Amino acid sequence: MSKIAEDPVLDPTIALPFPAAALPALRDPQLRKNVAHAIDVIQEKRGKLVVEKSDWQALRVSAAAIRTHALENLGSYLEQFEARCTAAGGHVHWASDAGEARQLILEILRKEGADEVIKIKTMTSAEIQLNPFLEAAGLSVYETDLAEIILQLGHQEPSHIVVPALHINRSQVREIFAQSMNRPDLPDDPQALTAAAREYLRRKFLQVPAAISGANFLIAETGGVVIVESEGNGRMCLTLPRTLITLAGIEKVLPCFNDLEVMLQVLARSATGERMNPYTSLWSGVTPGDGPQNFHVVLLDNGRSSILEKAKERQTLRCIRCGACMNACPVYRQTGGHAYGSVYPGPIGAILTPQLMQMRHAQSLPYASSLCGACYDVCPVKINIPEILIDLRAQVVDQERRSLGKFFDPLYLGLRIAALLFSRARLFHLAQKFGRIAAGLFTKRDGWIHSMPSVGGKWTQTRDLRGLPNQTFREWWQTREADRRRGR
Amino acid sequence: MRTSQSGRDRVLDRIRAATATIARDGADGRSAYVDLPREYINRGNLSHAAKVALLIERLREYNAEVSECTPSTLTDAIHHKLAASNRRRFVAPPGLPSAWMVPGFDWKIDDELSYEQIEGVDGVVTGSFCAVADSGTIALHHSPIEGRRVLTLLPDWHLCIVYTSQVVETLPEYFARVEKLPTLVTWISGPSATADIEMTRIKGVHGPRHLNVILVQD
Repeated sequence: MSKIAEDPVLDPTIALPFPAAALPALRDPQLRKNVAHAIDVIQEKRGKLVVEKSDWQALRVSAAAIRTHALENLGSYLEQFEARCTAAGGHVHWASDAGEARQLILEILRKEGADEVIKIKTMTSAEIQLNPFLEAAGLSVYETDLAEIILQLGHQEPSHIVVPALHINRSQVREIFAQSMNRPDLPDDPQALTAAAREYLRRKFLQVPAAISGANFLIAETGGVVIVESEGNGRMCLTLPRTLITLAGIEKVLPCFNDLEVMLQVLARSATGERMNPYTSLWSGVTPGDGPQNFHVVLLDNGRSSILEKAKERQTLRCIRCGACMNACPVYRQTGGHAYGSVYPGPIGAILTPQLMQMRHAQSLPYASSLCGACYDVCPVKINIPEILIDLRAQVVDQERRSLGKFFDPLYLGLRIAALLFSRARLFHLAQKFGRIAAGLFTKRDGWIHSMPSVGGKWTQTRDLRGLPNQTFREWWQTREADRRRGR
Repeated sequence: MRTSQSGRDRVLDRIRAATATIARDGADGRSAYVDLPREYINRGNLSHAAKVALLIERLREYNAEVSECTPSTLTDAIHHKLAASNRRRFVAPPGLPSAWMVPGFDWKIDDELSYEQIEGVDGVVTGSFCAVADSGTIALHHSPIEGRRVLTLLPDWHLCIVYTSQVVETLPEYFARVEKLPTLVTWISGPSATADIEMTRIKGVHGPRHLNVILVQD
């Protein structure tokens, strides 16, 4: 089995900067082939369905407006959700950070006497690193989404928010299943591999007393929770166990049930290129005689509220986690997801992760983009990702130039000198003269600079630089004026 | 259960502080909800027949098996489907019309059957709340004719009866039909599926691997 990556780290507090973290992926042709294949398939399907939908742009406008409105009135809608969910027999908990959420979930499971738990794919639980925490507390945790099973059994990290194992191909999946399920005869066709996952989980669904889910949407009006899925593992987890715990980011709330008429039209088309995903479930609290009789929602902040304040940055929280931005991204296509050092990769990860970390970590991510804008074009809730990337870059620069360690950094030293030169005309003209002499040393006969030493080399490593002209515009203007006066 | 009152206050205080400066019309910003732009297509413009034809096309794209009948031939159609499935043991939700439980098969009516009992049957027959042609979606609101959620989940084979009067063209038309806000909904678009391995769509993972639909012209 080809190595998938050199132990990717998806914890932004300790992950390597993006350029360094991207290297293992860039050196792994199999991984790049797997990623490119998967996103090409989704992109093509999505493209066809978007063209077919004549009101696509109107749906995007509405989806963005609904999400923006919900965020602007978030406190009010969350309280309404809490009241309605509680009235319907659910229990609502609030966790201000990852540690509180983990502790709350463990306490609920302990109280229910559950030592095993089944899970629906939830990026939020990956964000708070729930599985290792529960396992350390002695619980057995079983992922039930096919991709998550592949990752869990293969001890891999997710590389995409919708198709988390898209970096692993069928023969690699076969290896993982054959080994961990002890089935050396397993063939490598997806049908057989899927059937193996069904058998592996069937008894678990019927026996395990508790389940953990994320949430695609919370409905303030009804206290309902919505899960969008394909395989039916979600429905199993939502229906069969006695206890259900839903971990949801505070930003997931929608004002009304009817808002789903917009969100469900854009989500599946953007995420998997389907008109609708096979199963979408909605439930409110507890229904006697149907499903778990013990239902808890844990509302997670974990840095989200800090993104609410500024209108531009607030857009980030509109995200409905469809993954369309990473499928469209030319950078993600080359590096895959692990390079982003977070469970949220791609363009949305590049803006979400550093903000969730309150700009204390993941400062390299706003630079992990060519600013081409493809992510903005496909985003179903119209998050202007390039605009936010630029804003975050400015924040990173502000942070760095104020830090003592960067005082003598050639970049900031250079910028300070430039600021001095540009603010005084005589210094500027002097600098131009010296610059011309200095640049002349490196300018080749074709008028181009092909290589420079030291810091300048960083530029000429990948690009040529045009040499400076013999005369500046001002110098030319002055000789022209002088010539005119002389009557030529 | 320990409800972390402090956690609640901390989170809500942070949200309030962060959103305090947002300019709002009037005291309650939520009143702006009614003015949100909604220029997307609400009502479709297909004829009844075209709408039904579109639903059939979309369901078949998801690998669902679809047949049509009239109210007078419905029981024959059900019989035909069950016989063709080579299955014997079926479960019925408590509100299923008794005429739909065609003779010649083992029927169990779901009056609080255990999960093991439901897992033991070969298939399930239910009604539905509504079907959306545009996306090939069937909505179950889990009334007595549709059954509780587990009934359409554990059996590997599902036959769903949809009347053509229940078919709408667009998703917003479905939402317009909902009068009482539902507490349980399952929207089904084809049999269970996955594309997690190399984006190859594989029919049938954990939910029913076979979805059959009979459209009754009414």
